Amino acid sequence: MKTRLLNLCKAAVFAVLLVLCLLAAVTVVGKKESSYKYADFFDKAKENQIDVLFMGSSHVINGFNPATLYRDYGFTSYNMGGHGSVMQATYWELIEALDYCTPQWVVVDAYMLEKDYQYLDVMEENADADEINTSVEQLHLNMDAWPLNRLKIAAVKDLIRDQDKRNQFLFDFIVYHDRWSELDENDYRALTGKADRNMLFGAEMRYEVEKTPVSYPVPDEGALLSGHTVGQEYLRKIIDECQRKGIGVVVTYLPFCADTEDMIAARSAGAVAGEYAVPYINMLDKDIIDIRADLNDTGHLNVTGAEKVTRFMGNWLEENGELTDHRGDSAYADWDNKSREFYQGIREMTTSEADLYTELDVLSMNEVGSVIYFNQGSYAFRDDSLRKIVSNIAGTDNIYQANGPYILINDAGSGQTYEAFDDGFLGGVPTAMGNLIYQPVEARFRFLYAEDNEELNYLYDDAHVDYDIQVITYDKETGEVLGHMYYRSYGNNYRVD
Amino acid sequence: MQFISFGFLIFLPLVVAVNLIIPRKWRYIWLFVTSMAFYLSIDVKGAVVLLLSILTTYFAGIFLDREDKQSEKSATPVFVLCLAVNIGMILVLKYLGFFERTFFNILGKEVGDSLASRLIAPIGISFYVLKAIGYLVDVKRGDLKAERNIIKYALFVSFFPQVISGPIERAGNMLPQFSYPLSVDYDRLRDGLMQMLWGYFLKLVVADRLGIFVNSIYSGTEASGLVTLIGTIFYTFEIYCDFGGYSHIAIGGARILGIDVMKNFDSPYLSMSVAEFWRRWHISLSSFFRDYVYIPLGGNRKGIVRKYVNILIVFAISGLWHGAGFTFIIWGLLHAVYQIIGFVLKPVRDKFISLFKVNRNASSHMLLKVFVTFMLVNFAWVFFRAESLSQAVAVIKNCFDLSPWALTNGEIFRMGLNEANMLLALLGIAVLVIVDIANYKGIVVREKILSQGIWFRYLIAIAAVLVILVCGIWGPGYDAASFIYQQF
Repeated sequence: MKTRLLNLCKAAVFAVLLVLCLLAAVTVVGKKESSYKYADFFDKAKENQIDVLFMGSSHVINGFNPATLYRDYGFTSYNMGGHGSVMQATYWELIEALDYCTPQWVVVDAYMLEKDYQYLDVMEENADADEINTSVEQLHLNMDAWPLNRLKIAAVKDLIRDQDKRNQFLFDFIVYHDRWSELDENDYRALTGKADRNMLFGAEMRYEVEKTPVSYPVPDEGALLSGHTVGQEYLRKIIDECQRKGIGVVVTYLPFCADTEDMIAARSAGAVAGEYAVPYINMLDKDIIDIRADLNDTGHLNVTGAEKVTRFMGNWLEENGELTDHRGDSAYADWDNKSREFYQGIREMTTSEADLYTELDVLSMNEVGSVIYFNQGSYAFRDDSLRKIVSNIAGTDNIYQANGPYILINDAGSGQTYEAFDDGFLGGVPTAMGNLIYQPVEARFRFLYAEDNEELNYLYDDAHVDYDIQVITYDKETGEVLGHMYYRSYGNNYRVD
Repeated sequence: MQFISFGFLIFLPLVVAVNLIIPRKWRYIWLFVTSMAFYLSIDVKGAVVLLLSILTTYFAGIFLDREDKQSEKSATPVFVLCLAVNIGMILVLKYLGFFERTFFNILGKEVGDSLASRLIAPIGISFYVLKAIGYLVDVKRGDLKAERNIIKYALFVSFFPQVISGPIERAGNMLPQFSYPLSVDYDRLRDGLMQMLWGYFLKLVVADRLGIFVNSIYSGTEASGLVTLIGTIFYTFEIYCDFGGYSHIAIGGARILGIDVMKNFDSPYLSMSVAEFWRRWHISLSSFFRDYVYIPLGGNRKGIVRKYVNILIVFAISGLWHGAGFTFIIWGLLHAVYQIIGFVLKPVRDKFISLFKVNRNASSHMLLKVFVTFMLVNFAWVFFRAESLSQAVAVIKNCFDLSPWALTNGEIFRMGLNEANMLLALLGIAVLVIVDIANYKGIVVREKILSQGIWFRYLIAIAAVLVILVCGIWGPGYDAASFIYQQF
């Protein structure tokens, strides 16, 4: 009896040790994308610090920036958008999230409302294997972070038809154990809870500029999706759930190069919202972004587009949301820190960005003061995409009239811009760098200096005589020069080397 | 439900737990029920064939064991009829399609969509029918009393750890154990589980990893000579780890149910001759062919020529047993030819050894013999693995195209295994070789580990589980039904 008891104890100790080691292994080999995105969500939800949840697809991930919303309005929000999330995936994402927090507002984007299939591992009849694989993989971003419980089982059962694939969501070790040969330091840091995490409250910013946005015919007035779709059904469920819990819900349709079918889906989203008398904002119909500067690609907003959309939403929430401004509240210091870090990152980016389109686009956010100079003969004078961004920064169309050279001083601190082109000059314009004087002299030589330091010509450097484009960035408060980038144009390809 | 499925990981502990609490004399009923459930979970239609084999051999055995004179007269026809039914089932279900294809090929005609071409052999038929036949022959010879209890007999044929791929046990060893199963104590449980872990390691970590490389070679990926040669060597280890792994899981699984099953492998790649290889490789099958085919044919008792003919017959049957294809027959015949040449050249070899005063016990000499045997076996495995004779010839031909640069130009990592996976595969082979050398010297590594301190035992066991689960080749895209010997 004594021996049997001892053996039982030994077996129990072994089992405990084995389980602990297995849990550690599961943690280390697990893919970190999902926990990376939602780590802050769990922390903030625990502290009951989330005012707004942004729900939807990658349009939302790239379209709403909680750092902007906090810095400019003091509202706390978490971006729950998932890559490729159709409405049913968004619905379950919301249900999972509401298990942890009760926000005051849910902003749900209705992109892909027209999708009319239930299972992500089946999709439409003509879906090929690659599309289905991508769809299933993208769902992992939404699902992996949530613990295994009845809710997750119900979600997976509703979204995935194949039992084997369901098991891969419920026990993702089945899929991820194979990562053992690609583990890095971050994977092991997960053991101590110090793995990398999304510092933008779930959002991801994109920084490229779509140079050839496209427009599609506007559908006939009153055109709506024919018949009932799975997307509509789940949008209704989302609204139902929010209303049942007393959470304010606003339906949106974020801007991008929407085709005719998207526009019909956007109108249909409005119809669904109308059924429930909830607010609907169709941003396709509003003049919020400039599609020639604010898109990363035809489908997604870039960082400046996200800032504009977020500010639009911030204004709406300010007017309708009855939300508290948390700025200055020490309990919300982390929101303040992360928002500042994001904008500090933007400032640093302007000092070293090799892509000229991105550089100019980011400068349009006015986080730093800048001097933009195009020498005569530069391809920039024939590049409509580039000229559009410059025109946006300047707030004028002067760049379109310029033959070269052209200078734009954007003194972000004062909000003033100064331009000169062709033979024009600037005489002592007030900026944070001092009163600047600009004087073109000849093709390869020009002056830009501060009145109190005539020795320092910012626009000439023997080592960069062949570069036709220069961008100087400076601290908009102190005037300290932060960076000086030189670009050389090869057609519309601008290189720093 | 396969050994490498989640279902089995739930099924086995359940069977073991219930088995532990059932009174010993009733355990065979529980084991029979679970064995049938296990088989039905894999092959419902095949269960009919399994039952037919059980029933025919059971009643024939009872008949053959009768002692009255009338039955003695009719014993032989009943015995022959029962053999014909059981062998006939294998021939029809497994080989009819092959015979039909061969016949039509000889006539130069296309094979249509006939019934024979659509027949699928039931899972494990080649294994459990041999067990049943072995029982019948033993009863006929008077070496064994017929089992009267049909459930015990049915359990012998269908015992779930063995029913899919053996070992092909003898009734004389198994039936008494079902009547008086051993008590499963803590040590036995530990030992059995450890053996199963070793089996899972061989299968999931080593065999299936090597299989990725091997499949690249045999699926036509362009490869230089050296990489092809490495591929053939990897296959030699893959099939050993695959089948050896299966056998360890089966033996370990039976052990924790209180049943001891015979050893199926005994460091085969350390053999110093092909004859010795067959005493160490798939021992249950080799000994079956020895006892029930080779010896009845006359063995080596009827002259040297007859002995060689008998070897050729036995290995041709062995090849055919492995698969319905000429590649398998050639594989079997190659082994027969190796042994015959070995016998024929023995005087010459002895002469050389005496002439050059070679010390037969020198390590270098033994190592050379092991190496030569290994390479001969490796060469034969090419036919076993290839889809056709022409592919086998092409692979062998390519092996002789020397290309040492393949080791350094990265080609070796383009066959499906990156650096980390290649390293793990080689480490797995190294561990296997070490364990086999220890086994060859009479050291059972498992017992050595279990005799160590508790922290060391725990460390080894936990590390083994983690390596199997983390580094094992399983999950999406992996066919859990792919034990190589299961197809035979």
